[in-house]
Amino acid sequence: MDIKKAIKQKRLYFDGGAGTLLQAMGLKGGERAENWNINSPEKIIKMHKDYLLAGADIITTNTFGANCEKFENYEEIIISGINCAKEAVKEFENKYIAFDLGPSGRLLKPLGDFEFEDAVEFFAKNIRVAKKCGVDLVLIETMSDAYETKAAVLAAKENCDLPIFVTNVFDEQSKMMTGASPLAMVAMLESLGVDAIGINCSLGPDKMIPTIKEYLKYASVPMIVNPNAGLPEVKDGKTIFNINADEFSDYMREIAKKGACILGGCCGTTPEYIKKTVEKTRNIEYKYPKNKNLTVVSSYTHGVLIGEKPQLIGERINPTGKKKLKEALRNNDLNYILNEGISQAETGVAILDVNVGLPEIDEVKMMKYAVFALQSVTDVPLQIDTSDPKALEVALRIYNGKPLVNSVNGKVESMEAVFPLVKKYGGTVIALTLDENGIPDNADDRVKIAEKIINEAKKYGIDKKDIVVDPLAMTVSSDTTNALITLESIRRIRKLGVYTSLGVSNISFGLPNRPAINSTFFALAMENGLNLAIMNPFSKEMNDAYYAFCAVKNLDSNCEQFIKYSTENIQETKPLSNQKEMNLRRAIVKGVKESAVSQAQILLESEKPLDIINNHIIPALNEIGDDFEKQKAFLPQLLLSAEAASAAFDLLKTKMNTADNDTSRTVVLATVKGDIHDIGKNIVKVLLESYGFKVFDLGRDVPPEEIVKCAVENNCKLVGLSALMTTTVPSMEETIKLLNKTDKSIKVIVGGAVLTEDYAKMINADFYGADAMESVRIAEQFYGK
Amino acid sequence: MSEQIVTGVIPAEKIEINKIELAQRLKTKVDFNLDEIDSCKEELLKVINYKYAFKKVAVDLSNQDYVNLEFCEVKSKNLYNNLQGCSSAIIIAVTAGIGVDRLLGRLNLLSQSKHFITDALSSAAVESFCDYVNQIINEQYKTKPRFSPGYGDLPLEIQPSILKLLSADKTLGITLNKSLLMTPVKSITAIIGVL
Repeated sequence: MDIKKAIKQKRLYFDGGAGTLLQAMGLKGGERAENWNINSPEKIIKMHKDYLLAGADIITTNTFGANCEKFENYEEIIISGINCAKEAVKEFENKYIAFDLGPSGRLLKPLGDFEFEDAVEFFAKNIRVAKKCGVDLVLIETMSDAYETKAAVLAAKENCDLPIFVTNVFDEQSKMMTGASPLAMVAMLESLGVDAIGINCSLGPDKMIPTIKEYLKYASVPMIVNPNAGLPEVKDGKTIFNINADEFSDYMREIAKKGACILGGCCGTTPEYIKKTVEKTRNIEYKYPKNKNLTVVSSYTHGVLIGEKPQLIGERINPTGKKKLKEALRNNDLNYILNEGISQAETGVAILDVNVGLPEIDEVKMMKYAVFALQSVTDVPLQIDTSDPKALEVALRIYNGKPLVNSVNGKVESMEAVFPLVKKYGGTVIALTLDENGIPDNADDRVKIAEKIINEAKKYGIDKKDIVVDPLAMTVSSDTTNALITLESIRRIRKLGVYTSLGVSNISFGLPNRPAINSTFFALAMENGLNLAIMNPFSKEMNDAYYAFCAVKNLDSNCEQFIKYSTENIQETKPLSNQKEMNLRRAIVKGVKESAVSQAQILLESEKPLDIINNHIIPALNEIGDDFEKQKAFLPQLLLSAEAASAAFDLLKTKMNTADNDTSRTVVLATVKGDIHDIGKNIVKVLLESYGFKVFDLGRDVPPEEIVKCAVENNCKLVGLSALMTTTVPSMEETIKLLNKTDKSIKVIVGGAVLTEDYAKMINADFYGADAMESVRIAEQFYGK
Repeated sequence: MSEQIVTGVIPAEKIEINKIELAQRLKTKVDFNLDEIDSCKEELLKVINYKYAFKKVAVDLSNQDYVNLEFCEVKSKNLYNNLQGCSSAIIIAVTAGIGVDRLLGRLNLLSQSKHFITDALSSAAVESFCDYVNQIINEQYKTKPRFSPGYGDLPLEIQPSILKLLSADKTLGITLNKSLLMTPVKSITAIIGVL
């Protein structure tokens, strides 16, 4: 019987650990157990048989670390390992072979240096071998990072049709190593279509119980529990575990009663542990988990449950009507987008919308960058907002978690493009109530479209709980019944058993005093059952409406959030008044960014931008620079001043005539190839910018060709190179050579911890910047000031 | 005869950040004060998750300039000299946790001043934490100064075996990248000779 059918009917048992058994059979410390598949298959077969005799239904192949990084002959090891398992099950009936896939031992980007797609391929190599041999399922286990888990699951989905089981490692605080909570994992893995999920390793069954409870609360698929035999202790030179088979099986009985469906063991467990577990749980009534019907999205740390209490989605990363964001997108300026993401996240929104669609940019590429970069700086779940299926696919693929997808609609073309992607990569999808005939002007037809989308999704295997319907807000300025139609639609769509979402501010398009209309409509929409609001999280009126609504609707216990929100907002204006006395020069010297900007604003009423720079900003920077050189001020202060000056600069630039705006003072900056340290380079960048230089920052680990290309393309004659490690100075020398060869008039400043004046001369640099301030002085001299 | 791996978690507020270590990294005088440093420290303490693991191993110095540490042998004149008179050593790994990497990544985009200050604070913090664990060890053993891979002629190539010995991937969440640098970045491994 197919294991997916079997698990619907009865509790299944995994085997236990291999290490303890194999060591007893003579495996030495440091010796790789996987080699025994080839060298001592009889011992591996015996281990499998012992577990089968103990009552295990599923045995795991001895292939945990049999990957291409550890073994040149990984294929042979996998084939032999699977053959051992096949040999072992021959004499038994209704037993299953799980192909065991352990972690890579490497950490994925952005925290580590392993590319997501390389990780997918890393696991795919093993899956392809296993598929050829024939196994009953794939077990992805002992994964302690959400992103790596996703890579392994995708590899399995793309290379075989076998059932996929996944177990992750949690600590006593119910967190995975890189921070994921049980809900985050349940959300992502169920959405990816994994057949059974759970936990293994690291802890004994006693310490796993809090995590097990969380899983059982949220999971609609069967849960696997494979604990260690407690914690390892060393006695008489041997590692033993502190929970014996009797205690272990007592705990497993409790775990079975709570509702775990598949039980087994991990490190330190033996056939005796499994035998006793089977004996003590066999007669406990078996219940397949109920569909929990949770609508949830997640990031790599946490899940967001969508429900009765409305939640906010930050709408600011969307170029529609935003000049600055459009410009940032055209210039590939991700920093602007990231700042927008971080500042919205700080307001407490539950989800961030990401829309980077502009006719003149490569949306597919930009979407991939933006999603990856946003996930490097914020753990707020994202809403992937695009009408381009290709952009949607790259974003869904690289997303770490279960995203919200914005959107599908009632058009056949839209559903055919979006649903297969959601099915493959997971996600909750927003369904707009429009179709080939446009947006209906009545609630009846909007509800009908919602029903049509829900039914069509079902055909793709997408459950109703993963659809959130957006009945569309149309402006009341064109038809004053529009708001009423939308409100009625919300009410009736909720009765279909799905949640709703709305881009709220569309309601006031074309009217004056839009916040008044928006916030009133928002409150009404929530009262009619709106669950998700796509809105501007910096709008006071919208936040007022939101927090007040939650307070009066008993959705905010003790009005805590309302009080916190209200008091924080009032405080915000306070500190500024203390700093009113500070003029621009003081503000910069003291490094107070907000004052620098407000003082520059005041000065603009009486002085020209260029005069403000020359008479206030530059003297301030020189003052702090001199103090720094005399060691009266220190690097942190220098940086704070530079940031304050840059902020004032940014304001002034917007007021300058193009003639005044000196764009000739440019510097290309890079940390050279092979070097990943960029603190020094970044400090130089901040200082240069504060002095009004335009900096082309190429980042770290930059190949010589790229540096030359940037200098030539931008006609920039000054290049700053940084290196922190002795091993990368040759790469600096190589870069200088290539620059000299290309254009003799390009001059090079070098700096970094390992460099000295002599060293700089030796590698033919034109200037040596001993510290950041000196680099600025050199650049000033170079451009003749 | 193999010894047990000792592991532990210490709350962030329990470790006082060494002022001299901090001043060196901030490139300031000791006891230099700035509001910005205090506010960065507050944010940092929220994400720090100190964990340590150590294990005692036998030391064999019978081969000139080679140190045999039971789990691996390494050529290093400096370490060989450092361990003179020791028949065993404590292998230690400590980390300030992955939350620090995430915070630094975010600050690197938001503010170079905050990034610089927080980077200095977290380096000094993990160093101070390592001192703290070193002190725990000193209560049991008479020790030599600790010696870390990458220092002197002790190659970084020893990192994989140290981390494997301590199961640091599981106990501390430390992994190595291709250049043998650790993630979380604010992590330290060391060898402490026992007299």
